[in-house]
Amino acid sequence: MSPSEFVSTSHHPLADGHAWGWEIAVYLFLGGFTAGLLVLSGLARRRGPRATGEPGFALASSGLSIVGLGAISLGMLALFLDLAHKPFVWRLYVTMEPRSPMSWGAWILLLVYPVLLTGIALDPPRALRDRVPALARLARYAEDERVRRGLGLASIAAGLALGVYTGILLSALGARPLWSSGLLGPLFLVSGLSTGAAFAHMASPLAEERHRLARLDNLLIAVELALIALYLIGLASSTEAHAEAAKLLLGGPYTAVFWVVVVGVGLVAPLAIQALTVAGRIAPTHVAPVLVLIGGIVLRFVLVFAGQASHWSRL
Amino acid sequence: MERIVVTRDVMEDPAGPPPPGPRPYTNPYLAGVGLGLVLLAAFVLVGRGLGASGAFNSLVAWLTSLVAPDYAKDNPFLGNYLNGDDHPLKAWLVFELVGVAIGALVSGLLARRVVRTIERGPRISIAGRLALAFLGGALMAFGAAIARGCTSGQALTGGAMLNLGSWVFMLALFAGAYATAWFLRKEWR
Amino acid sequence: MMAPFYKLGAFGDETALLIAFLVGIGFGFFLERAGFGSARKLVAQFYLRDLAVFKVMFSAIVTAMLGLTYLAWAGYLDLSLVYLVPTFWVAQLVGGLLLGIGFVVGGYCPGTSIAATATGRFDGLVYVAGFAVGTLGFAIASPLFDGLLGAGELGPTTLPQALGVPYGVIVFAVVVLAVAGFAGATWIERKMAARDAAAVTR
Repeated sequence: MSPSEFVSTSHHPLADGHAWGWEIAVYLFLGGFTAGLLVLSGLARRRGPRATGEPGFALASSGLSIVGLGAISLGMLALFLDLAHKPFVWRLYVTMEPRSPMSWGAWILLLVYPVLLTGIALDPPRALRDRVPALARLARYAEDERVRRGLGLASIAAGLALGVYTGILLSALGARPLWSSGLLGPLFLVSGLSTGAAFAHMASPLAEERHRLARLDNLLIAVELALIALYLIGLASSTEAHAEAAKLLLGGPYTAVFWVVVVGVGLVAPLAIQALTVAGRIAPTHVAPVLVLIGGIVLRFVLVFAGQASHWSRL
Repeated sequence: MERIVVTRDVMEDPAGPPPPGPRPYTNPYLAGVGLGLVLLAAFVLVGRGLGASGAFNSLVAWLTSLVAPDYAKDNPFLGNYLNGDDHPLKAWLVFELVGVAIGALVSGLLARRVVRTIERGPRISIAGRLALAFLGGALMAFGAAIARGCTSGQALTGGAMLNLGSWVFMLALFAGAYATAWFLRKEWR
Repeated sequence: MMAPFYKLGAFGDETALLIAFLVGIGFGFFLERAGFGSARKLVAQFYLRDLAVFKVMFSAIVTAMLGLTYLAWAGYLDLSLVYLVPTFWVAQLVGGLLLGIGFVVGGYCPGTSIAATATGRFDGLVYVAGFAVGTLGFAIASPLFDGLLGAGELGPTTLPQALGVPYGVIVFAVVVLAVAGFAGATWIERKMAARDAAAVTR
């Protein structure tokens, strides 16, 4: 087989009978998570500090960029492990194939990495700043309004591109009925934003920001629940193959894990806990964000595995 | 842009009132009736009771099968939890125990009883308490495997079904616990 | 005859797991409400300072038992379809003793250790780890326990069957015993509280 599998959808892994395992699920989760971090920190950078004298906003700090850098790199590692022809990976960068999702992904990464690295360079961690004097000089630009807003815009753009990309990767690559829904993209994008918000909520040192992020995450979770409902209704009321695919999650072998872990543990429980927290009924904890992250990763696992169990026709 | 302040502030979330202490526990009879109704629901809906130790067996069987699949399948104890084509964790008790964690968490949060802490008597060291917790867990794993169930699966479920073996088990459990209590009085009181 | 619903085919395996999760939420909720996420509260039972373990357990047993009895009597539930763990009385006696010892040593039982872990108790998590390691240990040693595991086999047996007494009589006896036990437990708690108070003032 030629290494052209990287640049042509006609030779995508599934057509070769190559089953997708945990690597793709992990990549989709970490990609969506990084996208969420990028969009949120981009919005925070564009808005700037809320009031003069505010001690700063953790969302735009280098901490989240470092976490994003680690997450997307781990995700790329998972994807690389899944590739059948590792030595030919460089070919993704010598050809631009507009019809190939894998090629698109490679180019989006060229947008994501610089944004993350710039975010770190403008606000370097102390240990790094002390060792590299050039970085300390660079950090001066962080005070510049135009740089801050420009980086914010780039961050939002890179985040949206990455989020939409991980969202439509399954539909684009896999000719499977469970994945052939226009709602899968938005669902993954919102889920990525939600996991990003959950992590930032957990990591932020500012009570005011934590409160705001919890409220935002509640909104995102509610939208995600609505998208899941629409996605399943859409599949169930479509062609026979789609309805069959939907049955995998509505009575079939993936039902219990989907409804219990993804919907119950990963969405409804944290929504209830965070709603009570925001209302001041219960003390803030890190539990709800952890549940959101668990739900986010299991969502990818279920959809990757259930999708491969769905077929257009029973032979 | 201001520099990010990394010190953790102690300010409460703005909408939250000052946190009151943990609320008192529910009346034991009331909690017991609630528990009994949950147990009854399990009987009526699925025809089986509650449990806990079985979920640990499924978990250990699955983890062992990841490391040594053949050994786990041939093991007379773990093999029971690995038959069938389904994932070993797709078991009634595993899903029930995930629910237990969520239910306990919600109850604890509502009563402001979720605290990172180590429950121990006034005189025992932290390391001592943790060593005993580990040892007690390991002992109970043997007991539950031999008795075919634990406090939930045998005493509670079997007790309500008037199961002969469960009542023998329950009496033995209380006898064993009261006999041990005297030896560990310094650790708990 | 409508129940048990699952056994009579009202829904499939996947839905049963979903119900397991929901039932578990109720189980965990009431365990925590009762205070069973705290080792000190649980162990106080065995130092006679707080007999909540007995009170909660027997309120639950009586409630579920009366519910089962009523539903079976009304012809709504087929009691023979509810799973009854077979009796191996020797194994259950030895296992029960071990669990009793482990309860006071570790401070939890498997179910309550999950409730404890979920509410932040680190000793609960350590107990969970101990239980998992113990399970693996038992599995490795399981050939040695063949004899004990099968000892005292009587098959699925209920108390009424074993004693040759009508079902209703045993139900009545359990209710009477439980109520007497509740009264006795409260009396003991008062007695011990008075003794502790006297010990402090002395």
